[in-house]
Amino acid sequence: MARYAMVMDTRRCVGCHSCTVACRVHNDLPLEMIYNPVVTVGPTGVFPNVKMAHLPLICMHCGNSPCVDACPTGASQQRPDGIVFVEEKKCISCKACVMACPYGARVCNHEKGTVQKCNFCMDRVDEGKLPHCVKTCHQKARIFGDLEDETSEVYKLVHTKHPVRLLGELNTEPYVFYIVDSEVKL
Amino acid sequence: MSQKHEVWGWMLAVDFFFAGMGGGMLVILGILDLFVGEGRISLLAPFMAAVFIGIGSSLLILELGRPFQALRVFVNPKAILTFGAWCMSFALTFALVYLSFGFDMFFWSSWIVARKIVAILCFVFGLIVATYPGILLGRHKGRPFWHGPGIMILFLLSSLVTGVAAHVLCGLIVKPATITDVLGTFPAWTAGLLAFQLLLWFGYMWVKKSGGTTAEAVATERWLSGDLSSSFKVGFIGLGTIVPLILSLSSSPAAQAVGAVLVLLGGALMRMLVVRGGEDRTWFPGEQKYRSRLPKGNEAFLKAWNK
Repeated sequence: MARYAMVMDTRRCVGCHSCTVACRVHNDLPLEMIYNPVVTVGPTGVFPNVKMAHLPLICMHCGNSPCVDACPTGASQQRPDGIVFVEEKKCISCKACVMACPYGARVCNHEKGTVQKCNFCMDRVDEGKLPHCVKTCHQKARIFGDLEDETSEVYKLVHTKHPVRLLGELNTEPYVFYIVDSEVKL
Repeated sequence: MSQKHEVWGWMLAVDFFFAGMGGGMLVILGILDLFVGEGRISLLAPFMAAVFIGIGSSLLILELGRPFQALRVFVNPKAILTFGAWCMSFALTFALVYLSFGFDMFFWSSWIVARKIVAILCFVFGLIVATYPGILLGRHKGRPFWHGPGIMILFLLSSLVTGVAAHVLCGLIVKPATITDVLGTFPAWTAGLLAFQLLLWFGYMWVKKSGGTTAEAVATERWLSGDLSSSFKVGFIGLGTIVPLILSLSSSPAAQAVGAVLVLLGGALMRMLVVRGGEDRTWFPGEQKYRSRLPKGNEAFLKAWNK
């Protein structure tokens, strides 16, 4: 069984926000909704030793996902391949998942009365395609693939580059990994 | 538009208050019936406990994005919100059943064993309803002010103290069937619980400020010197805890009644503050700045676009 994961190579990300725009356009999101913001860390340090990094945030599709546990209606679900998604017709927007997610990955759609989130473009993934944000990243800063497949780029990066997991101390087991310049503190 | 918020709002806080107070009333009612005897509390008390839990449930429904599909909240037994919704339903039902034992028109009103069983059920489900909001909040790993078991104790204690205060007020409106000195001891219980509450909040703030993570210390700063500080210090600690503590020690029923009302207002304010305090996640570097710049959807240029 596949276990989908994403690696964010923050050394390559230039903060162009193409991924944010691609996601919003293809998912037809209202203006106030963003699934994958790119935040800027820094600049830090003293000239000429100044550092700045861009941190693409997204749903971490956690192995131990608190949002799925919190959902009283069963609308928040996790597929066997690890993708966490919301079945909108079951969602009543109680916001239990919004509050439970430590990564701020869930947003309310006030027009629909539901909560929505990134689902790794699972319809595209099922067709063997890449998520929109990955496909559009011209810097190749987002790498998507099957972590169970030893030949995949994701597998190789996770096992050779020692990427970090955000808020790993919370034991949510996020499946989005970050390759970070050692001089940047997250 | 006023409901357009990304986190839990005031209705959930008021739900926690009413449900917690109703649960606290049932705990006290159950203990008194089991260990002291029948008729020691006002007949109004089980009725008001049911009403309070009902109001809490209604506000919970109104907080939903799809209130007409509220029954879905009972579906997932693994979710604590589902567990809480079931327990609130049971607590409300048992409060009404217990109330029915106070009326001779019901043929079961003289069944003492049945009443005792219902009193046990009132105690159990009241205790769960009084405690579960604290468990719900304490499990949020990404909300530094809530995370941990301490918030559960604070909610349970507040539910009990507001429950005692509500019993005091119910007793003043409708006297208990059996006049004993039990009701007379309630203001003293209120004062004792308020003193304990004061101590626990002091300890909670101290631990969060100095003994937890950096995110917890930052979240606590909002309460001590930030936007929540005046409401917390003057509203909750001063008017909602210390003043009613003093008034409860008074022998004047009027002062005790005022104290009880202040306890209720303090309990409601505390929950408002706690829910607002949970707006803060553990932020990533640069995230707050990014999010503060996002459009909310009601900007003037967007309205002009739609014209």
